[in-house]
Amino acid sequence: MKKILLVDDDVEFCEATKLLLESRAYDVVLAHDGKEGLEKVRAEKPDLVILDVMMPEMNGYDVCVVLKADPELKKIPVVLLTAVDQAMFRTTHTQHMGLMTEADDYIAKPVEPEELVKRVEALLSGKD
Amino acid sequence: MLINPSINILIAENNITILQKCRELILDEGHNVRTAESVEEALDIIQKHPGDVDIMLISLELPGWGGMTLIETLQKARREILIMTMSANCGEEAIEAMHAGAYDCIRKSFTADRFWTKINRAIEAFRLRRQLDILTRQRQAVLKKGPHRENLLAILDSLNEGLVVTDRKTNVVLFNTKASTMFGLTEEKALGRPVSQCVESDELLSFFLRAIESDDSLTPLMAGEEPVVKVGENVLRVHLDPVKNEAGTVIGAVGLFHDVSGVSAMDKLRSDFLSMVSHELKAPLSSLLMQISVVLDGLAGELAPKQTELLGKAKEKTKGMITLVNDILDYRRLQEGKSVQKIESLDLEEILERTIELMRLSAEEKGLNLTCKIAEGLPVLSGDRGGVEAIFVNLISNAIKYTHKGGNVSVSLNKEGKGIRLMVEDSGIGIPGEDIDRIFEKFYRIKTEQTRSIAGSGLGLSIVKGVVDAHGGVIHVESEVGKGTTFIVSLPPG
Repeated sequence: MKKILLVDDDVEFCEATKLLLESRAYDVVLAHDGKEGLEKVRAEKPDLVILDVMMPEMNGYDVCVVLKADPELKKIPVVLLTAVDQAMFRTTHTQHMGLMTEADDYIAKPVEPEELVKRVEALLSGKD
Repeated sequence: MLINPSINILIAENNITILQKCRELILDEGHNVRTAESVEEALDIIQKHPGDVDIMLISLELPGWGGMTLIETLQKARREILIMTMSANCGEEAIEAMHAGAYDCIRKSFTADRFWTKINRAIEAFRLRRQLDILTRQRQAVLKKGPHRENLLAILDSLNEGLVVTDRKTNVVLFNTKASTMFGLTEEKALGRPVSQCVESDELLSFFLRAIESDDSLTPLMAGEEPVVKVGENVLRVHLDPVKNEAGTVIGAVGLFHDVSGVSAMDKLRSDFLSMVSHELKAPLSSLLMQISVVLDGLAGELAPKQTELLGKAKEKTKGMITLVNDILDYRRLQEGKSVQKIESLDLEEILERTIELMRLSAEEKGLNLTCKIAEGLPVLSGDRGGVEAIFVNLISNAIKYTHKGGNVSVSLNKEGKGIRLMVEDSGIGIPGEDIDRIFEKFYRIKTEQTRSIAGSGLGLSIVKGVVDAHGGVIHVESEVGKGTTFIVSLPPG
C-alpha cells in the first residue's frame, strides 16, 4: 500500500482528503504545519508528499527546499497545493518560480476529488 | 498729475463782446483758451489740435442753428469733450441742447461769479468723466491680457498631470510644463503642429480624434475606464474631452495625462492584497468543497436520499462562491494590472488543451459531449497568459453551464490571417435578442426560469471582453433561443 503524507494547516480539509485517498486504498499520514511535515517525512518515508503552500511557521516552499536539498529525500515526489491561482502565482510569487520547477506537480485549490486522485495516481505510477 | 492742472477751453461765439469777456475771465483763472467765431472755425481747431480741447463753450445763437449742429457733431465724434452752452435766456433751445448731450447752459447776461459757478462745475464734471474713462480702460486692459491670463497659465503649469489642448484639426494650441517634459514638447516644435507629429502614439491621436468627433451628447468620452497608453518610457492614464465654445460647438480637444509608470509599489500592494483575499476566501471554500464531496460520495458513511439531495445543493452553492471569488480576482487583476501584465509568447494549443482537460470532468458530470478541434501549425501569439486562460475558461465553462444534459459543446482553434480564431459553440438555451447587447456588461445576468438555478457572478464575459480588447482582438456572438450560442474570438498576432 502506497503511503501519502498530506501537509496542510486546514484540519478539516486534511480529514476529508484522507477519507478520499483511503477509499482508493492509499495509506494517508497527516501533518498540520511545515515543521511537523518535515518530521513526518523523515519518520514515515512516504511515497508522495502533498504540500500546502501557505502555512504558518514554515511554509510549503521552505519545506520543499529542505526536502529537495536532502539527497535521501529528494526522490520523493512533492505536489504543491495552493489557493493562489496560476496566473497570480506568476505575478506574486516569481521569486519562488525556481522552486516550482523543483516540485513535481502543482495543484490549484479548489480541486475536484477525482482530479486530485488522478494526479496522485499519475505521480505514483511514474515513480515505479 | 497736478493738483489743479489747467483746462483747455474752446469758445465758439460770433458775438465778439461776449467772446472777449469769456476769454478774459478764463485766462484770469490760469486756464488755456482758444476762440472761434463760426462753426467751421471751431471744427477746424478741434481737428488741428486733437486732445487739446477739454471743454467747449458754444453759443446757441450761432447763425443757422450752428450751435446745435456743432453739439451733434461733437457727440458723434468727440464724446470726451464736455459741452457747455451759452444763450440769451437758457430757454427751450438750452433744454434741447442738453438732450443732445450738453452739460449745462450759461446765460449771456452773466456776472463773473455766476460764470465761474457754472464753469467750475463743468470742469469738475469733466475731470470725473476723464477719471472714469481711465479706470474703465485700465479694467478692460486687465481683463484682456495682463495678470489674469498669466495666473491661469501658472495654474496649468502647477498641475501634476500633463495637459495638451488641440484645435479641431488636432493642431496643438496649448500645453503645460508637465506635458512638455512628458512628450518633449517645445513651443517651436509643437505649437500649431498636428499632435501626431509631436507625440509618437497612434493611439493617442485616435483619442483626440474621437474627442473632437464626439457630438454634444452629455455622455463623457470613455466613461469610467480610462485607457492606459505607453508613450516612450512613460505609462500614461489618459483622459480626453472635447472643448466647446459658448455655442456648444466642438472647437478642439483637451487631453489630461497622468503618469502611472511609478505606481509599481502600489501594484505590489495590490498583488499582496489579492493574494491575501484569494487565500483567505478560496482556501476555506476549497476545504468546504472537499468535505462536502467526500461526504456526498459516501466516504463518511451511508447517506439518506434527502441528505444526498441537500448536500448536492450545498456543493453547487459552494462551487458558485468559488467561481465568484475567482471572477472577482480575475476582474481586479485586469482592471488594475494592465501595467503589470506580462506579455509573453503563448502556445495556445497547449493552453487550450489544459483548459479542456480541466473542463472535461464537469462536462462529463452533466452528460455533455465536449469536443475540441485544434488546427495544425497555429501561429504563436504574444499576449498575457493569465488573460488568455481566462478567455478559454470563461467561454467554455459558460457553454457547459448553459447547455442541457446530453447537449454538445464544441471548441475549435483555427488560423485567421496572421492571427487565430477561437470558436466556442454550444447547443444550449441561447441568449434572447434583447439581452445580447448587454451580456458583456459587468454583473449583467439574464434572469429567466432557466438561468435562475445557474450560479454566476455576471463578471465572466466582461472579463473575456476586457482581455480580448486589451489584446486588440474582436469578440462576437451569434445566438438563437433554444438552439444554442456561438462565441467567436479573433486575436491578432500581437
